[in-house]
Amino acid sequence: MVRNKTALLVFRIVLGGLFVYAGIVKLLVPLDFAQNIRNYQLVGQSLAFIAALVLPWLEVLAGAFLIAGVWKRGAALAVSGLLVFFIALTVVTMARGLDVDCGCFGAIDRKAGLSVILEDLAMLYLGLCLLFNRKK
Amino acid sequence: MSEAGRAVRQALVLGALAILIAAAVHFPLIKRFARGEFQETFFQAAEYPGVRMITLEEAEDLWRTGMTAVLDARAEELFAQGHVPGAQNVPALAAGRAGYALPAYLSKTPRGMTLLVYCEGGDCQSSLALARRLHDAGFRDIRVFSEGWEAWTRAGLPEERSEKREEGEKGDGQK
Repeated sequence: MVRNKTALLVFRIVLGGLFVYAGIVKLLVPLDFAQNIRNYQLVGQSLAFIAALVLPWLEVLAGAFLIAGVWKRGAALAVSGLLVFFIALTVVTMARGLDVDCGCFGAIDRKAGLSVILEDLAMLYLGLCLLFNRKK
Repeated sequence: MSEAGRAVRQALVLGALAILIAAAVHFPLIKRFARGEFQETFFQAAEYPGVRMITLEEAEDLWRTGMTAVLDARAEELFAQGHVPGAQNVPALAAGRAGYALPAYLSKTPRGMTLLVYCEGGDCQSSLALARRLHDAGFRDIRVFSEGWEAWTRAGLPEERSEKREEGEKGDGQK
């Protein structure tokens, strides 16, 4: 696990930035995102709607806190938790053979597949470094 | 409090904050949702005024008029195993890809014509995806039958199978 102070700062800014960006592109078009969630065929209309409103804000908040260096561990935990969820969701979606637009970064049209999982795993690594580093 | 406990508490507070902000910012949207606006149909209904969801009865009536183009959004293999008589196969999967061109007969179809789109069933989403694609292409009367093939066969309505064709004799038998 990376312990270097500068590296951890870079991790925070990169990961936080990605989350803030991903959150903002989604919260600008909540109904698009709701449809996106619905397309995964896991939740009904109401739950998809609620998730579409809350999830982008959680991404923005956790990302912003990471960048600002406030509640670093809590923000890293939230981000890592979301990533674990996204990875599980993508694996399940692939296993079901669904062809779904992943909805990861809003308008960028990409199928929920292996590249998404690898990208999420890379981000998860950054998140876990931030979560488990021993420094105060 | 332990470090782990603190991290969990902070993450939970972030979650609660996200809920509060979302509720405040999207309040008008939540009010519309509470009025049932997004329940009956799909989320972006307002952006796709020409797309309507229909029931099995409506789908059957429409099919019986013979005045509508019936489009099957499922994959080719499923289409070949059985489909609504007279339907054309336009797999939504392919139609969703960038740079996809609609089949020639659709390009020539008047944009005001009624299109009936269906997929496998069980509230399937591919017919809706195809409908949005068709709406983008200019069609303005698209009926989405999302109970789909499942409901159609369950109701014992007529079916048609694609005949195995000889190599090189491609074409769409039922125009």
